[in-house]
Amino acid sequence: MKRYVFRRLLVAIPSLLIASLIVFSLPRLLPGDVVQLMLEEKAYGKDLEDLRAKLGLNRPMYIQYVEWLGQVVRGDLGESLWTRRPVLEELTRRLPISLELGVLALAFAIVIAVPIGVLAAIRQDTLADYAMRSLAILGLSVPGFWIATLCVLLPAIWWGWSPPIQFTAFTVNPWAHFAQFLLPAFILGIASAAAIMRLTRGTLLEVLRQDYVRTAWAKGLRERVVVVKHSLKNAMIPVITVLGIQVAQILGGTVIFESIFGLPGMGRFLFDAINQRDYPVIQGVNLLIVSVVVLMNLIVDAFYAFLDPRIRY
Amino acid sequence: MDQPTSSLTRRDLLKLGGTALAVGATAAVSTPGPARAQTPKRGGTFRLRSHVAPVHFDPHQTIAFSTMIPLSFAYSRLVKVKGGSSVVPGSQPVENDLAESWERQGDTVYVFKLKKGVRWHNKPPVNGRELTAEDVKYTYERFLTIKGNPNKTVLGMVDKVEAVDKYTVKFTLSEPNAWFIDRLASTTTWIVARESVEQHGDLRKPESVIGTGPWMLQRYEPNVRISFTRHPNYFVPGLPHADGVEIILSSDPAAGFAAFLAGEYDFGPEYGMVVRRSDLDVAQSRIKGLGTRDYIVLFGGITAMKIDQEPFKDVRVRRAFAMTDNWHEVLETNAWSMGKGAPNPLIPTTLKDWTIPIGQLPPEGRALYEFDPKAARKLLADAGYPNGLKVPIETTPGYGPDWMDAVQVALRNWKLAGIEGDLKLKEYGAFVSSAIFGKFEKMMLTLRGVTTDPDNYFVPFMPGEPLNSSGVNDPKLTEMIKLQRRTFDEKKRKDIVWDIQRYASQQVYYGFGASVSAVGAWMPYVKNFGPNIGHDYGGRLMVAWLDK
Repeated sequence: MKRYVFRRLLVAIPSLLIASLIVFSLPRLLPGDVVQLMLEEKAYGKDLEDLRAKLGLNRPMYIQYVEWLGQVVRGDLGESLWTRRPVLEELTRRLPISLELGVLALAFAIVIAVPIGVLAAIRQDTLADYAMRSLAILGLSVPGFWIATLCVLLPAIWWGWSPPIQFTAFTVNPWAHFAQFLLPAFILGIASAAAIMRLTRGTLLEVLRQDYVRTAWAKGLRERVVVVKHSLKNAMIPVITVLGIQVAQILGGTVIFESIFGLPGMGRFLFDAINQRDYPVIQGVNLLIVSVVVLMNLIVDAFYAFLDPRIRY
Repeated sequence: MDQPTSSLTRRDLLKLGGTALAVGATAAVSTPGPARAQTPKRGGTFRLRSHVAPVHFDPHQTIAFSTMIPLSFAYSRLVKVKGGSSVVPGSQPVENDLAESWERQGDTVYVFKLKKGVRWHNKPPVNGRELTAEDVKYTYERFLTIKGNPNKTVLGMVDKVEAVDKYTVKFTLSEPNAWFIDRLASTTTWIVARESVEQHGDLRKPESVIGTGPWMLQRYEPNVRISFTRHPNYFVPGLPHADGVEIILSSDPAAGFAAFLAGEYDFGPEYGMVVRRSDLDVAQSRIKGLGTRDYIVLFGGITAMKIDQEPFKDVRVRRAFAMTDNWHEVLETNAWSMGKGAPNPLIPTTLKDWTIPIGQLPPEGRALYEFDPKAARKLLADAGYPNGLKVPIETTPGYGPDWMDAVQVALRNWKLAGIEGDLKLKEYGAFVSSAIFGKFEKMMLTLRGVTTDPDNYFVPFMPGEPLNSSGVNDPKLTEMIKLQRRTFDEKKRKDIVWDIQRYASQQVYYGFGASVSAVGAWMPYVKNFGPNIGHDYGGRLMVAWLDK
């Protein structure tokens, strides 16, 4: 197992290198010029050249890339072109917020999806099954930002109530801090829950038709034992794979949810940076997202062995 | 002489959500303001929303409204725009701020006497020392010499700043400029402390914000909030009334409006402390006694054309385009205005002291505002285009959906006159670095970077100016613009400014879109507040109070 993890980590290095090249070059290929944006339309000619030189953007791109990569290896993601604040410092402050939102959303997704998926499978083709499948399709098809906007706006119009608009740090008020994540995490988790629920139902149905499960039934085991102990664990392997993919999806979803619910996380930071062509920030955030996704996939792979003893690395 | 300068760039407008942007500015059509005489109450904290975080805090390195608004609470300048409920939105009455008095000596020298005993915020490294003439000198020298100050043109006429004695500052201009005092009232000319610049290298960091203004920056949490607390030694006795100001940084407009309905903000949640007109009914039914005041905003569309090329060489073609730009319809399609607003001549309608009423334009000028596709067709036929023409038109969707709605309205109406617009959309960043500097094929639709200084609206007509996107080079017009800058007599200057607008309406070097009428809104317990154009929130709130 250790060897496998080590090998995977080695494989991750070229992946991260390729990703670094992409995250470095793509923002620079976007039309528009950060220097023009910084000076707006009120500075011309020499001012533009001076600022470009000051920011180090007048050098060939490969030199900038190599220099940036060198910094990254030393744990320095550079500074924002606009605020001159270290990107790493900003990320350190914002990443926990995005992670908290993402983890809670994932938790909601699992807590909602797995029991419903199991229920739908063991009550296949009943009214409950149809109802739950319909709900899942609804959850998949209705955009999360639309539900979020309604959840924010309608209570305000009807009752004069709105979710918390000011971010509360954990150190200031732990409960208020936790509470402000509940609504956005729940809504963010809905789309993932729908996908997970459908997959749980499908894979569980497949497992329930296996010979060893039929044997378990024949032995006279109770339904709960057959389903939970003998079937569910095997049915969860593809679900876990999908959970890994959902992490990337949820991280992407945080951009808009952080904006709607006023959470100062990484998504909002990235969105602003793209608009401002703040290259070091775009690079830093994207590199971090790529790293998180690579890491999650590694964890998911490692988790297979726990779920299925036949899997050996 | 009452038009200070503050500016919104196209990028600012983009950040405003591209909303009001579609159509523009505001002439103050107003419902009554709450200007009752009351005894001010001390205490409480104003809560307002900003949908954009400051890019940083250095006023000499940006023109972003998101920076200038927070700075308006902490800094002072020599002269300022008056605040309060009696000030009519769109008017910009200038009064002394740090200046005790000022006088003009000849055409190019201004001498300011400073108020004595003005204290900086009690923060290191300045530690509450007294403000002196040297601080003013330092500020303006930094303003004029620092690299990359996009506001430099605001005081481009200043040749020399001298500290005559501890409380006297002398400005020498390189040429007469009748707008100088108005320019000093701009929300870019905050007086900054040398020690802070020297300690921090620049003024980008929040801890470098040390001013002499009514409130002190207490805490900045990126993308969360900016908190200000009372400056205990503020130089105006009794002010400010409120103990603090809290700017909540919340980017989502729906969440902003919901929080306003829930009483989380004291003022309308959108830029300018307004609510969208489409939201007004809900707001008024939810918040009993909501204070509101209509006013016309500054921004509006502008159409630039390559006037040295066919077909725009011919003024009849330019007129045909303008005559089929149906400003009524543009206003009707906009959620901010819902039909309310005003057409703009060269100087936006909201700058009511300087804009010319449409009725005062010559017949050719007035005709531009009377939607008439038939007459436009005839003009095109007379110009040699009896079958109409096809023109590539560049713009950006970056200004948001309302802007694109306005563009679609324009395209459809041009079609009625036989003009086929071949729309070419450019990404915002690419657009601002090319098209607005005249790098477009034939025609370009954009938003005017707006300022509260009327003289700035003449810049696109001056030869050699990068923002002269149409390529105007009209000696008569140039001379008129220069003349008004040299004319100190306000009445005479106004006559020239009106003449310029009359002349420009005949030449149609640019087309001007209308401006929306927005609704300034505030909670019933907020007293002596009057909304206005410009970024000087601090000046407006300093004289307001909370009566809860």
